[in-house]
Amino acid sequence: MSETEQGPKEATVQPLLRVAALQQRIGRRVVLKDVSFEVFPGERFGIFGLAGSGKTALIHILAGVDRFTSGSVEILGHDIGKTEKFKQYTGLVTQERSLFQDLTAGENLDFIAALKNAGREAIPPLVERLALEDYLKTPVSRLEAGVYQRLSLACALLNEPRLLLADELITGFDLDSRRLILDELAGYLERGGTCVWSFSSMEFAGLMSRVGWLENGELTVYSPQAVWEKWNELERSSARRSGEAHA
Amino acid sequence: MLRQSLAIMGREVRYLWRERGLRHILLLGSLLGILLFWGIYSAQVLKEIPTAVVDLDRTKQSRELVDGIRNAEYLKIVAVPESFQAMEEMIKEGRAVVGVVIPEDYGKKVSLHRQVRVLMVVDGSNIIYATNASTAILTVTRTIGTRAGIATLLARGIPLSQAEDAYRGVNIEDEPWFNPTLNYAYFLVLALALNIWQQCCTLTACMNVIGETGLNSWRQIRAAGVSRLQLFFSKSLVHIIVFMITVLPVYLLAFEVFKLPLRCGFPALLLFTLVFAVAVHGIGTLMSSFARSAVNSSRFGMIVALPSFVLSGYTWPVEAMPRWLQPLVKVLPQTWFFQGINYFTFNNAGWGMMTHYMLIMAATAVCCYALAALFISRS
Amino acid sequence: MRQVYNIACYEVAHIFKDFILFLMVFLVPLGYAALFGAVYVAGTLTDIPLGIVDLDDSRLSHEIVTAFRNSPRFHIVETIGTYSRLEEGMKNGTVRAGIVIPENFEKKTELHQKTKIMTCYDASNLIWGYNIRKYALEVLNQFNAGHTAEYLAGLGMTKREIRDILDTVSCTTEIWYNPTLSYANFLFMGLVMMILHQLGLLSAGLTITREKEHNSWIQYLAAPVPGWKIFLGKALPYFIAGFFNYGLLLWFAARFVHVKIWGSLPLILLLGLLYDVIITSFGFFLSTQAPNSLQVTRYLMLLSVPLFLISGYTWPGTHIPAALNALARALPYTWMAEGFRLVTLKELGPGEVRITLVVMGVMAAASLLLALAFARRRNSPVEQGLTVNGGPAYPGKN
Repeated sequence: MSETEQGPKEATVQPLLRVAALQQRIGRRVVLKDVSFEVFPGERFGIFGLAGSGKTALIHILAGVDRFTSGSVEILGHDIGKTEKFKQYTGLVTQERSLFQDLTAGENLDFIAALKNAGREAIPPLVERLALEDYLKTPVSRLEAGVYQRLSLACALLNEPRLLLADELITGFDLDSRRLILDELAGYLERGGTCVWSFSSMEFAGLMSRVGWLENGELTVYSPQAVWEKWNELERSSARRSGEAHA
Repeated sequence: MLRQSLAIMGREVRYLWRERGLRHILLLGSLLGILLFWGIYSAQVLKEIPTAVVDLDRTKQSRELVDGIRNAEYLKIVAVPESFQAMEEMIKEGRAVVGVVIPEDYGKKVSLHRQVRVLMVVDGSNIIYATNASTAILTVTRTIGTRAGIATLLARGIPLSQAEDAYRGVNIEDEPWFNPTLNYAYFLVLALALNIWQQCCTLTACMNVIGETGLNSWRQIRAAGVSRLQLFFSKSLVHIIVFMITVLPVYLLAFEVFKLPLRCGFPALLLFTLVFAVAVHGIGTLMSSFARSAVNSSRFGMIVALPSFVLSGYTWPVEAMPRWLQPLVKVLPQTWFFQGINYFTFNNAGWGMMTHYMLIMAATAVCCYALAALFISRS
Repeated sequence: MRQVYNIACYEVAHIFKDFILFLMVFLVPLGYAALFGAVYVAGTLTDIPLGIVDLDDSRLSHEIVTAFRNSPRFHIVETIGTYSRLEEGMKNGTVRAGIVIPENFEKKTELHQKTKIMTCYDASNLIWGYNIRKYALEVLNQFNAGHTAEYLAGLGMTKREIRDILDTVSCTTEIWYNPTLSYANFLFMGLVMMILHQLGLLSAGLTITREKEHNSWIQYLAAPVPGWKIFLGKALPYFIAGFFNYGLLLWFAARFVHVKIWGSLPLILLLGLLYDVIITSFGFFLSTQAPNSLQVTRYLMLLSVPLFLISGYTWPGTHIPAALNALARALPYTWMAEGFRLVTLKELGPGEVRITLVVMGVMAAASLLLALAFARRRNSPVEQGLTVNGGPAYPGKN
């Protein structure tokens, strides 16, 4: 744990999210074993892991969607195993499509705003910033991946969450959408938001303030540079193994 | 060709097994059905209809009358309430189905040969009870009337032989054929279990086409160049074999354990059932060929399979249905199957009739498969 | 309230977009009711095909044949003349009952020798069987009364005297509640209650599984919306539609199938309300538990027949084993079907059906609790090895 980075050092700052000894078992398989970390206000906390490492499982637990086996998760001081109150402070962007398929984009914004008890007035600025005006009447099932993700983000931000949980926020979609999403995220952080962002492509590591590396159910926290080093080391050892195999 | 078919069939068996919902339904559905229905109808005959007798008279004559009722077949005196109101209450609460009220002056009037009225009440809200109760009462009232009438005639000085002649009338002997004990279990248990069985079969058959074309693996099949005819023929064969295997324990329980009547011979019954299984499979396949999803396909199938028993005329006869409905129900293979089950297991109605019924069911099957083929080829 | 209202609106919008769901909520109940109504609209069996084998061919035997001919219950099939034809006809269903008048019937009757008419009937279908037995007895009782009257007239008695003698002990038989013994009164409302039960459960039972299949259930779980609001919003449209259907089918039954629906209107409404609460909330509960719509659809459909028969609505509970009866008592359909019959057919008041009301009230409260206490978290998917259609997905084209 020598490379482990601490967050902002001031002792006065309380963590926004505190995960301690989190365990998740699915059948006999241990998906998360003893995961602990803290996220402080204003951070852009990355969770890196390759496919199947448990990123989605972790994000869904943090969002209060899935049960977990043991451990504790606190968001803004609320124990998420005991209360639902924290949900008014969180927003979730899922990896799989999870908007209401039989509604249009506009109807989705409207409906999810109602679900989140957020005012309608939050909708127009988000629509404008994420350039969704032209799509409001399109059924979400017909939206392209990039636009869909912009809409997902808009829906997640409707209640101006203190903590945004984003699962694979950016994947291989068009560059305009990518730009719009990154801008919106920057704006959100500027306005005082905090973000936990899971990703599986190293290119985003540089955008994070810290990165939790999820592997074999364990999470280790690194600085962005340290993550790059670890990644390069892994690549080298993989190449070595492959060379030995071919020799 | 054969190897391909065998591979498809092997996969289908695995599919049916691994789809836990279908596995439970197919293995347990009709078995649980027949056990439950046997349990429900285990009393078999509806004797001992609860009867309440109000004897306001309490004389020798009235007690004779009560004895007459006690000895009547089917009636069982369960209470002797004090008043009409008490009897009424019992019938309202369903504790008695038949009520008899013998008036206060019954004995006196009978000995004076004056007219007297006995009230008999039947609760008509459950007809199975009510029909049997009315029949029992008809027999009792006739005996009572005759006895009282003869006594009156004698009192008027008419000789006994003449008095008896007057009341001799015509006697009948009733003979229930095919089910001589009027056994309700014989009548319903097998048919109801087969009704559950055909619903289970329909649900399985409803997965036939959409269960394949609705999955991404459909592309593998298309890419492999297996002909649709071969694919669906092999799958269907597995389904029908499974249907026949699942009906066997039902028949075994019905005929060997519960001893339900079987007059037409087991092989003939199996053949008849096979033709029906094909017809039901045809309907399911048709539904699965045009439905957009497995759920919709199952719904369409059930729209046919669910009401088919009521419509089949197995209980309420087709002849008593409105004229316009009759041709409609005769399109359903279930109508022919359930009617046939009745005719062949109880009466052994003969090969001529059985082949006629099987031809009609086979015709439905052919129509359904042809339509399904049309939908598949267009998809 | 805004959340509940929005969820309900979304649900209604969905009902109107999903054509099959729309049919299921608004048209299929009436469709099934109309179909079953048509089956039972005749109410009683008439024109029962009857074969007569008259081996005597005498004045007396002709009189008996006439008595049957005049009964509206029977329709005499003229082609049956011999016993073997009768046997054949009974086997293939061209006749359902037969009368055999033996040879020398008249002569033997006059000589007071023992002789009997044989009536046979097809008991393989007991609806035929029971009814024919009763009808035949009615016809012959009437015939015999006529015979006695004629005999007494022959002795020189006046009509009045004859009537007095015949009625010495007259039994007035009253059939209460359903005087014509109409099958429509007997069976139809039981089927209607089953239709409401099954379609109500099914449509409410798909409301959450659908969200699970579309993955949008996550949106509900991640949003700060309390469980009771999700339940209210999602169940309200089905509750209202269910009550509308209850009224509609009752009207249909009374108007077109001529079912006797008397008794206290407030009680009928109260029963319907409780039944509707149970169905909708239990349907919602099922939906939170079930993995996908396919399994809900299948299992629910298969339950219709067993639920109907175990309830004791047709074959009376007094003749069903205690264990099965206990099971039946735990099911709302049993209470509703019986309660409705007590109120509408027997016209009982609230005091007399209080047990039914209390039990249904308890069931309504219990199912509401079940529905409200649904888990706001998903269970982590259990690894089940190779299973098909066990998760939120099933075959379908998108």
